[in-house]
Amino acid sequence: MISDPLTVITLVPIIVSLVLLILPKIASSAEGLARASRAISMGVSLAMLAITTMIFFGEIGNVDWSNYNSGYYLTNDPVALIPSIGVYWKVGADALSFPMIWLTTLLIPISMLVEWDAKKGHLFHPLILMMEGALIGVFVSLDMFVFYAFWELTLVPMFFLIMVWGGEDRKYASMKFFIYTFTASVIMLIGILVMYFYTPEVASSGSITGHSFDMSVMISSSELIPSEGLRHLVWLLLLIGFATKMPSVPVHTWLPDAHVQAPTAGSMLLAGVMLKMGAYGFLRIAVSAFPESTVAFIPLLIFLGMASLVYGAWVCMGQTNLKRMVAYSSVSHMGLIFLGIATMQPLGIAGALFMMFAHGIISPLLFAVAGAFKHHYHTLEIGSMRGIAHHSPWLSAHMMLGWMASLGLPLLAGFVAEVTILIAFWMSFGWLVLLPTLTLIITAVYYLTSMQKTIFESNDPHQGIMPDTLHGEEPRDISWHENAGMIILGALTILFGILPFIFWDMMSEWSSGFLLETLVQAMQSEGVKP
Amino acid sequence: MLLGLISIVLIPNLGDAKFRIPLTSVRVPVLLGGSRFEVTNDPRMPNRISNITFLVAFLSSLVLISESSEEVGGVLMADGFSRLFSTMFLGALLLVSIATTHRIPAKTNAKIPDDSDSKAVSDRKISVLIDNRRQVDFYILLIMVGLGMTMMTMATNLFMMVVCIELASLSTYVLVAFHKESPSGGEAGAKYFIVGSVASAIGIYGMSLLYLWSGSLDLDVLRESWHSMDGVDPFAAFGIGMMLVAFGFKVSAAPFHLAAPDAYSGAASPISGLLATASKAMGFVALFRVLVIITVPEGAEALWMVALGIFAVVTMTWGNLAALTSENPKRMLAYSSVAHAGYMLAAIAVVGSGISSTEESVVIITAVTFHLAVLVLFKLGAFLVIAHLETEGKGHSIEDLHGLGQRDPIIAGSMFLFVLSLAGVPPLSGFLSKLLMINGIVSTSASTGASSSADIASWAESVDPLFWLAAAIVLNSALSLFYYLRIGLVMFFEEPISKKSLKAAPSLRMAIFTCAILTVLCGVGPMSEWLLDLVNGAIDSFMHQ
Repeated sequence: MISDPLTVITLVPIIVSLVLLILPKIASSAEGLARASRAISMGVSLAMLAITTMIFFGEIGNVDWSNYNSGYYLTNDPVALIPSIGVYWKVGADALSFPMIWLTTLLIPISMLVEWDAKKGHLFHPLILMMEGALIGVFVSLDMFVFYAFWELTLVPMFFLIMVWGGEDRKYASMKFFIYTFTASVIMLIGILVMYFYTPEVASSGSITGHSFDMSVMISSSELIPSEGLRHLVWLLLLIGFATKMPSVPVHTWLPDAHVQAPTAGSMLLAGVMLKMGAYGFLRIAVSAFPESTVAFIPLLIFLGMASLVYGAWVCMGQTNLKRMVAYSSVSHMGLIFLGIATMQPLGIAGALFMMFAHGIISPLLFAVAGAFKHHYHTLEIGSMRGIAHHSPWLSAHMMLGWMASLGLPLLAGFVAEVTILIAFWMSFGWLVLLPTLTLIITAVYYLTSMQKTIFESNDPHQGIMPDTLHGEEPRDISWHENAGMIILGALTILFGILPFIFWDMMSEWSSGFLLETLVQAMQSEGVKP
Repeated sequence: MLLGLISIVLIPNLGDAKFRIPLTSVRVPVLLGGSRFEVTNDPRMPNRISNITFLVAFLSSLVLISESSEEVGGVLMADGFSRLFSTMFLGALLLVSIATTHRIPAKTNAKIPDDSDSKAVSDRKISVLIDNRRQVDFYILLIMVGLGMTMMTMATNLFMMVVCIELASLSTYVLVAFHKESPSGGEAGAKYFIVGSVASAIGIYGMSLLYLWSGSLDLDVLRESWHSMDGVDPFAAFGIGMMLVAFGFKVSAAPFHLAAPDAYSGAASPISGLLATASKAMGFVALFRVLVIITVPEGAEALWMVALGIFAVVTMTWGNLAALTSENPKRMLAYSSVAHAGYMLAAIAVVGSGISSTEESVVIITAVTFHLAVLVLFKLGAFLVIAHLETEGKGHSIEDLHGLGQRDPIIAGSMFLFVLSLAGVPPLSGFLSKLLMINGIVSTSASTGASSSADIASWAESVDPLFWLAAAIVLNSALSLFYYLRIGLVMFFEEPISKKSLKAAPSLRMAIFTCAILTVLCGVGPMSEWLLDLVNGAIDSFMHQ
């Protein structure tokens, strides 16, 4: 059909968004302009969703993933960008990246839909579209230079989304977001450069430096880095870059601020896809290239994961701000991903992958709910508004579903991920599993408490308690477009809870292949039992 | 061959032509005296002529850039290397000349103050008249700089080279002090002139020592006698050392950089940009010729390697630390220019280490040259943005950049692009050039580390000390991010100092956009490839001559 679909879904959104941003004179009035750019952005993002869905039902869905070595699918012929230093445009997808690509193309139109009526001018939706291209670029590029360029490019639209359309403290939040993630990615860049300098001489590539940024070359040649200490150091540099993005304790502090201040669509994308970039990069680059270091640092991973999990959940209990609570719950869930990787079990890694995906549909739902709550009740304080089930039945239904999914109710997507990670954790570390399991109880506590405070508890069954910020207005239920977006996300949460194998199969096969090919040897040499 | 000759003759001739046309009345005796013609007496005329001169010269040298080499009169040699650098200089001068249209504005409708005007009004009218009157001087000086620089790239004789450098330098001294009515302009010019002339004097003294020692100032002869020398002759060593002082001043390397921040902040921004790019590149051409060609022994450590390496580290660290604390954006850019000189000196030090093969040396020199070429884009671009602020009398403190993002998003965006490129963020051209330099250093030195050492400490001990030059560059780049990003932050976050958008300055804006677009294009894609190939080819033939 399309010869090179991955390039198309990366570049088309960026080009269209640039055109929409630069040429604002396509309509006479400001409102018509906003409408036109909104419609075009939505159309493009839907087309991208159609393409990725078709890829799934066509090629990707029928691949035998267990053979990890067979590499990437849908690759293109490399196009030279800067051959002198070995930079090529090379894209591909595999079971690690494809669910993320699909998730991105899904969330972009939904986040646009949720903010469909937001009076935010003609630049808002194109920026989201640019975000789509940059995010997909991170997931598809197989060249480290291009990967890094897209990694940085994702900062730009998100930075503007927060800074221009954010809440009251938006300047502080966007600055903090930018400084944290930028500093971390510069540290990561140093790690990448060290890897680059050790890639072997590539003959006849026209490279005057004699090195290559090709991701597979870099990964396979990481063995050439002479000393183990240096390998560990590079691994740690990469970890800092990826862990800040994820974010893991202790470098998570940008996240709550960014989330609370970001507009709804921004929060959805931030939690839904941008955090996964960290986990993706960690698996794709740090673990693949330095399996031995990964195995050697398993205790560190467990510590980071456990710290994020427990600390995130603990802080959640004390939160009175809805968005802040959801943000800390994201920190907590990202901790589970580290734990899943640290198990070194196929099940654990597959669970981590599924966690990336499941959290990618649940947390946008939660942020959409929080955004709608803010929109209609003008507050984010938990407990200031009680008994919304009466006034906003749809909103409370979505809120309930999202929270239930997030705390890991069986038959919802989050459960699959959590339970597999915990089983794998038990298989590797025995009774230590009690720690994360008990933390999940904390999760249940804070969700159920706030659920009671917000949705149900009410002195007067007909009236509820109104927040002051409503100024006596009659509270309404959510509008159709918010509802539609949330229904899709909720339906997917249920769908992937009941039928997880849609993506689970490829994830688990990929994980066992990945484990066999890259990690087992490292584990043996480090004396860790697989 | 003929074309090469024409290009050499063409450039000075165009310069000469410039002398006459503004005062057209001189050229035709009949028209001498009397009232001048409207057209030729237009105060905007010199600017136009200078723009056209540089445009023609730039385009012709761009067309001729890959011609074969050719010798002229025994002291000049037009080869790929010199053509490349002339093109670079002419491009920088073209941008400066275009940008100055609005920096030193010429008004056709200037009025003579009369008695009824208040003091302020008459002062303003007088300053407009002064600006009109001195248009000619400014552009003549600019073309003199161009003449000196292009001749300098071709010089194969040390004497010729120094004379050309002086021709360019003397003009820049005047250009720096051009705003003599402002205290900072006068101060800048005086400081720059005094320090510069002392440095030149030391350099010339060093040159005379070299002459005493070898009896010739021809670069090839010097090279041969250097290689046939037993041990180290003190004459030769002192001579080279003293010339290093002169060139060190030109590239603003520590500790000879002290005049640079004052000169940059006192001069008009386009001129500061010229000093930071073309004038610095001129210093590096001299360094290449003297250090790399004359004194690099085969497979042994050059005399100056350790000194240059230490200078490099001191320069980059000093520059970055000083830039961190600067409150004046021009001083900050000046110190960042010092830091960049440090990076490039570090790369040259590796060439002299004797452990790099010729191929590796070619890559390193290519990297430095490429860096100089793209520096013209983003360093000059940043100064031009400041020049844009100067058109409304601002630009001397970081507050003047506040809220630029709201006042003029496109200019602010370009400025952000420039500072990111200066910091070396991929995929901009600043990253590409910095990567090439670090790559050169690392690939030369890292292989010396013991490959079997188990932990990082013993590996670090075993690696050649040159490796730490690369580490110093990386650490300094990380340090520099803070002040570069600060510019971005104040542009987008602080409240604007005024709600008005910037003064209209079409040709200045055009120059800024050109720089911004080329900054991106030279970082990634076919354009960067073309430029890199060009540089690589030129340097390759330069190193193998």
